[in-house]
Amino acid sequence: MKKLLAGILALAMVLSLCSFAVAADEPITVTVFRGDPGDQPTDDNKIYKMIEEEFGIKFEIEFLAGDLDETLGTKLVNEDYPDLFDGGNSAEKLINAGALINLLDYISEEKTPNLYNHIKDLLPQLVNENGELFIIPNYGINYNAQIQNACNGPAFFIQKQVLAWDNYPQIKTLNEYFDLIERFVAAHPDEGYEGFAILCEDWRHFCLINPVQHLMGRPNDGEVIINVTSGNFETETFIDKDYAKPYYAKLNEVYNKGLINPDTFVMTYDQYIAKLSSGKVVGMFDQTWDFGTATAALETAGMYENTYIALPLVYDESYGFGVIEEQYLNGAVPNKDRGFGISVSCEYPERMINLFENLLSDEWQKILQWGIEGEDYYVENGRMLMTQEQYNNRQDATWKMANTAVAIWESAPKKQGTQDDGNAWAHSDQPENYFALMSEYDKAFLTAYGYQKPADFFNAPCELAPYGEAWQIDTAPIADANQDFLAVQDQWLPKVIMSATAEELDANWEAFVAEIAPYAQIKTEFMQAEVLKLVEQATN
Amino acid sequence: MTGAVNNTPLLTKKKKKSIFKILWDQKLLMLMSVPVLLYVLFFNYYPLWGWRYAFQNLDLNNFKKGAEWFGLGNFEWLFGREDFLNSIRNTLAMSVINLIVGTLASILLAILLNEVRNRGFKRTVQTVTYLPHFLSMVIVVGMAQNMFLTDGPINNMLIASRLIDKPVFWLGEGKYFWILVAIINVWKEVGWNSIIYISTMTSIDPTLYEAASIDGAGRFKRILHVTLPGIKSTFVVLLIMNIGHLMEAGFEIQYLLGNEQVIDFSQTIDVFVMKYGISSGNYGRAIAAGMFKSIVGIILLFGANFVAKKLDEDTLL
Repeated sequence: MKKLLAGILALAMVLSLCSFAVAADEPITVTVFRGDPGDQPTDDNKIYKMIEEEFGIKFEIEFLAGDLDETLGTKLVNEDYPDLFDGGNSAEKLINAGALINLLDYISEEKTPNLYNHIKDLLPQLVNENGELFIIPNYGINYNAQIQNACNGPAFFIQKQVLAWDNYPQIKTLNEYFDLIERFVAAHPDEGYEGFAILCEDWRHFCLINPVQHLMGRPNDGEVIINVTSGNFETETFIDKDYAKPYYAKLNEVYNKGLINPDTFVMTYDQYIAKLSSGKVVGMFDQTWDFGTATAALETAGMYENTYIALPLVYDESYGFGVIEEQYLNGAVPNKDRGFGISVSCEYPERMINLFENLLSDEWQKILQWGIEGEDYYVENGRMLMTQEQYNNRQDATWKMANTAVAIWESAPKKQGTQDDGNAWAHSDQPENYFALMSEYDKAFLTAYGYQKPADFFNAPCELAPYGEAWQIDTAPIADANQDFLAVQDQWLPKVIMSATAEELDANWEAFVAEIAPYAQIKTEFMQAEVLKLVEQATN
Repeated sequence: MTGAVNNTPLLTKKKKKSIFKILWDQKLLMLMSVPVLLYVLFFNYYPLWGWRYAFQNLDLNNFKKGAEWFGLGNFEWLFGREDFLNSIRNTLAMSVINLIVGTLASILLAILLNEVRNRGFKRTVQTVTYLPHFLSMVIVVGMAQNMFLTDGPINNMLIASRLIDKPVFWLGEGKYFWILVAIINVWKEVGWNSIIYISTMTSIDPTLYEAASIDGAGRFKRILHVTLPGIKSTFVVLLIMNIGHLMEAGFEIQYLLGNEQVIDFSQTIDVFVMKYGISSGNYGRAIAAGMFKSIVGIILLFGANFVAKKLDEDTLL
């Protein structure tokens, strides 16, 4: 009897394996939507070819062309869902509309150990109120040690040549920064330098409205400042507070010295990038990823001295807020609800899960992030290294279309941080690559400061607060008030900065604070409640 | 023979003919108009069914569940907002300015070209002036954004010619926005819009000009008394058509050229709808604003037609 049972079980197992194998082999074409613009891979792309051979899956990728919210709205209303659906920065829309399946129905320790281990520690923070998870974060899940070579987020930036011109000073405060810019521009009157640029276009207005929290010594929480030391996580909007005014008053002073061009308040993102690429803008507040094209253009033109270095500025003591210790760098933030979701109209969700499960294996992660050993990188004494040519290839958009699966990789779950053998997961994080492949100018620049990497200008990343970073909180429930909250800032802050006199500045500031007050209150109350909710979820 | 016999009863019967008989007699014509009719029904009338959403609180968050009836909530929200009222004003103002400036400019260009005798020159000018029509608004606005910078070519030119002594902040001050839009529209469309006037002018009977010359009319008198009356009916028809479109001041130019500094003057109804209706996924509001726009448009159209009728001109309807 037992034998018979065992036989039947064995048969069943074989059969199920067979059927699984057949299903897995059947070639399918998966439709993919990416919420960013991008480049279509070539037909003979080597990595996609490997994926097709191994999993029988071909991708038909649609990149965003036009406005994201409009495109998503049309897709949602028409129920025209791709199989893999990446909603970019508006992925909440997909979730709220019920377009995605709950991934937790498919993820388990036995069936999908890679995915399970990938998210298990963060799960309380990632799931929604009903305990569902629709999207696995595309970035921000670290293995072993987090690697921070440079500041990738917000900071004040200044052209490297300015620091070199002043014999490599340590610039730590707002006043030192603008003083240096002023002296540099004054010393080069005929070269058409623009002292400080402020990008205000659309959602990139964080260059205008975000700096105050950093000057007060906090990492990026969007439009609120949160007290993480008291244990109560008191949350408030900062732009309408007394400690915000000195920053805009300082900008006003700088503006009236002619260091800020009024066009900065009306320029488009393209004009901004063109300006930075010309090497004529001395400094700005921005986030590193936001002007990557300008950096690339400057480097291609060999204008290394015009590229930017990030500085962590704070208010100095003269502002009366005491001694502020800078904290720009934050612990790795799981990019919550950003990345691929699987749509409800996908016919083979299990194969999709299986694909991501396998792509998350060490072997595939190396292929996706480093390429093929011997072709795209080499190994020496256990270290993964790249020649200059291999590294340059990785920066070349045309090469990438034929030799990397970047369109899928960017939105898929991935390993970041350090591998078990000490190599970095991302080729660009590998310290040897980072320093050795830097330009000679940059090496000399950092050496003059006695630094190894640009992040040495900063304090080490702090531990990530239990709520993550507050800019990730979905403001859809207060959408109207939030839109007005931002619009009032967009309208008034440039007026404040362009005030002609001190009296006008005070009057503009008061009018601004009065107009924003009702929206700031709604925002404060909403964010306070959400932050506490997230803290509670994370600590339970 | 038979034809003559049949003719008389037909003529006498004509008045009694039923509508169905007429339709039957013109069945070929009717058949030919069916595709157009279907097109209009499907694309212009069928979407009106969507107007019901104007009375529902429809947004992306409840699209699947179905929206609830909301009464006039969307309209109350719209008209309770100062910036929506502003956008109505901006829409009408920019439309009227564009209509007046655009029409005058294209008539002027048409008259000037009509007076030119050198065909080669005339052709060249015509081609050069209508080519910008084919440029995308994105490109035109992109060019304008660079031309009108504080240190851009326009300011440099004005300073060099001593018309102003310090640069004008064209793009950042609301009071200039309507003028900029008018300038850009004229630059882009003047050649294209003048084509219809030029073609009307070529159809004016040359003997009228000859007669006027014999009566001693000079060039300006001929323009005033022959050319202008000759294009009057075209002008009125175009005017009526354009008045029906007054609520459509355009979307692209304001959306692209506008920024937060000039928003009080740049935001049109369409841009407002885009921002608070489509982008934020709140379709009920978008449809309510669109409905308001259509109704005002219809009223304007019939109003203009009525006035033209009173003035005993050619009417459109």
